[in-house]
Amino acid sequence: MKTLLKVDGIHTHIGQYHILQGISFEAREGEVSVLLGRNGAGKTTTLKTIMGLTPASKGAVQFDGQEITKKATYTIANAGIGYVPEDQGIFGDLTVEENMKVAMRKEDEAAFARQDYVLGLFPDLKKFWKKDGGHLSGGQKQMLSMARAFVNDSKLLLIDEPSKGLAPIVVEKVMEAITEMKKSTTIVLVEQNFIMASRIGDRYTLIDDGETVHAGDMADLIRNEEIKRKYLGIG
Amino acid sequence: MELLINLTVNGLATGMLIFLLASGLTLIFGLMSVLNFAHGGLFAWGAFSGVWFYTISGSFIIGILGAILTGIILGFITEKLIITPVYGNHVQQILITLGFMLVLAEMLKVVWGPNQIAAKVPSYLAGSWEFGDVLIIKYRLFIIIVGFVVFGIFQYMLQKTKIGLIVRAGVMDKDMVQSLGINIKRVFLYVFMAGAALAALSGVLFAPYSGVIYAEMGFEFAILAFIVVVIGGMGSFPGSLFAAILVGLAGSYMAYYVPALSLAVNMLLMAIVLIFRPQGLFTAKG
Amino acid sequence: MKNKFQWNNLFLAIIVIVLAVFPLVSDSRTWTILLTQIFIFSILAMSYDILLGYTGIVSFGHAMFFGMGAYTTAVMLKRMEPTIGVFILSIVCGMLLAALISFFIGLMTLRLKSHFFAMLTLAVSGLFLVLAEKWRTVTHGNDGFTFKAPEFFKDRMMFYFVTLICLVLVYLLLRRFVNSPFGRVLVAIRENEQRTKSLGFNTLHYKVIASVVAGVIASLAGSLYAVSLRFVNTSVLTMDITLDALLMTIIGGVGTLIGPIVGAGVIELAQHYLSGLAKEYPIFERWIIFFGIVYILAVIFFPRGIVGTVREKFWKRKTKTRPLGKEEVS
Repeated sequence: MKTLLKVDGIHTHIGQYHILQGISFEAREGEVSVLLGRNGAGKTTTLKTIMGLTPASKGAVQFDGQEITKKATYTIANAGIGYVPEDQGIFGDLTVEENMKVAMRKEDEAAFARQDYVLGLFPDLKKFWKKDGGHLSGGQKQMLSMARAFVNDSKLLLIDEPSKGLAPIVVEKVMEAITEMKKSTTIVLVEQNFIMASRIGDRYTLIDDGETVHAGDMADLIRNEEIKRKYLGIG
Repeated sequence: MELLINLTVNGLATGMLIFLLASGLTLIFGLMSVLNFAHGGLFAWGAFSGVWFYTISGSFIIGILGAILTGIILGFITEKLIITPVYGNHVQQILITLGFMLVLAEMLKVVWGPNQIAAKVPSYLAGSWEFGDVLIIKYRLFIIIVGFVVFGIFQYMLQKTKIGLIVRAGVMDKDMVQSLGINIKRVFLYVFMAGAALAALSGVLFAPYSGVIYAEMGFEFAILAFIVVVIGGMGSFPGSLFAAILVGLAGSYMAYYVPALSLAVNMLLMAIVLIFRPQGLFTAKG
Repeated sequence: MKNKFQWNNLFLAIIVIVLAVFPLVSDSRTWTILLTQIFIFSILAMSYDILLGYTGIVSFGHAMFFGMGAYTTAVMLKRMEPTIGVFILSIVCGMLLAALISFFIGLMTLRLKSHFFAMLTLAVSGLFLVLAEKWRTVTHGNDGFTFKAPEFFKDRMMFYFVTLICLVLVYLLLRRFVNSPFGRVLVAIRENEQRTKSLGFNTLHYKVIASVVAGVIASLAGSLYAVSLRFVNTSVLTMDITLDALLMTIIGGVGTLIGPIVGAGVIELAQHYLSGLAKEYPIFERWIIFFGIVYILAVIFFPRGIVGTVREKFWKRKTKTRPLGKEEVS
């Protein structure tokens, strides 16, 4: 299977803080790669560094055979990466429709087809089409954010903690949608909820204190009680 | 009654000029958190270049277009040369835009001399209309109409066009806008140029309104525009219209009834807003 | 470390002695007046450096404190007798007034973010300018008024010495101030206010006191300025004064105290020569453009100014000065 994203020993500083101190992992095409680790381990910063929002000071990020380490965020996005941030990044004063419109890079038939498809996954969005993004519920915001990232023909989606703060029934819906999206795109997922992560993840990367400490098949991790206890506090 | 209407028309006209100046300022700030202290300089350049075009061509319309063109060009230069190098550093931005203001004001004197220049209202806008007892000066009404038309155009663009949506989205969360594949810096350049054009338009309209233009006018008007931006809420386009009219009317009434306090009232208004509602009366953030 | 410190002091002492002896050996009136002017503006620029260089606050209203000192001294010397006693009293009154006003303004506005503060100080100082223009019974508005200086200052040389002494005292005082634990907190605020706050410092308290100190010193400069001209008008309250302080501090070097003095010297001298040149080449009437451009280039390329850059290049030591502003930490 082809490697779509290769993160190679990245270091990231934010202000005077050395947040990432050597993160490496790969995401293979068509798979869901999950970044695991405690709060503050550097998972979110890893995604932001891939997006160029907090550029790496050392190391390299390769996407689809292209070097994107020092590229501007918008170039990285245009190369085919969709980003669903932890806070969802919904434009509160814009309606659901307008949020989608801002996201849609090319307003062609293919894009509208994708929009229809994704609205099929999230019928709530269709219902609140003219409502301000700021007035949506947490789950709806999550859906809108994912729909926005998916509406462009992205080869890779970075999704940051989609289950955070959502009711279990909503989490279920979001997870179903990710499973569905997986059919047509590659996903890198940050997830605290191990049960969820283990259900949809193919591969895992374990991050601790800004460093990669373990990586492998999700199936192996499920069986490895020691690592789970040591780094995730479960098992 | 007659007096009240006159004061109101006068206040509205001033308010519209301030609005044109402040609207660019507020969008620039909202989008990139850059407070452009050189904005008043663009206003003054609009006035001088506009009057120059107006004088040599004999057409006020050409004067207005010339001023807008000057604003766009200066906006481009300012953004590229002055704002971009210090992007993200507030202290440097404040210092450098103020320095550029100084240079702009002095350059005016180099080009057009240090003395003030007279500007006349074009014949077709001169004079006034009488409605019974009420006398309405045509040019003031003209300014008010232009102000509302510009507000309408920009409001339409912000609400209905894609670039407008992007600008509004950028005011709320510019990282997210970039993550969606939009080059926000280019959007910012456009907004900056549009803001500069509005400032220049405000300047050229101000010229016949006041009768004379002088290099220091940029500073005086910029202070009013800052007050408006604070009261209206940084980044809020409708907020700046509301606050500009408020400031214009307050100034006009006070100038008649309590002249000594006319400027003080606006400062006081701003101080109160800053202390109790620092985000302004309108907010742009979701 | 100690050794270097003493070398520094020796160097400064020599300069002061040269300056002190200067009027005794030269009878150039122009130079005496020019140097007096430089001393006064050095004091003003140093006071500005406390805000900009040490605390990282951009104020666009510094002229109001300068103007307060100038008007207090001018009005008192005019209404009372032109004696040394009244002169000193007027300086004290000006300082008290400046302290009071800067305290209240600081308390109200220093909580705001940098651009709001800059804007508000611009507006408030504008208010003072309007006040001075309207309150004609006291200020005679834009025309201003002349007044008699104390007999003692009739001799320009005497006044020269007084301003030189003031400059040295203010320098020593401010150097103590910025090197004190209090001053270190100010620098910490400049570097990272959020962090300083989280370490338990009431940063507002520190910023307010810094602005009071700056205001008081600026008022002293204003008092001296008024006496040097024996005349005052509303120009002491205009943005031009603030801009002068700003240019001198930036070009000389922020956060160094010596920098503003160097900046004041450079700008006053250049202004003197350029306005001389203007008689032949009218373009030099617009000398401020050159400074504006130099200033802009300095902000972009030499944010440490003359002194900061020289120190960095030649002393090769880690100075406490940092370029203006700071990285935004999200």
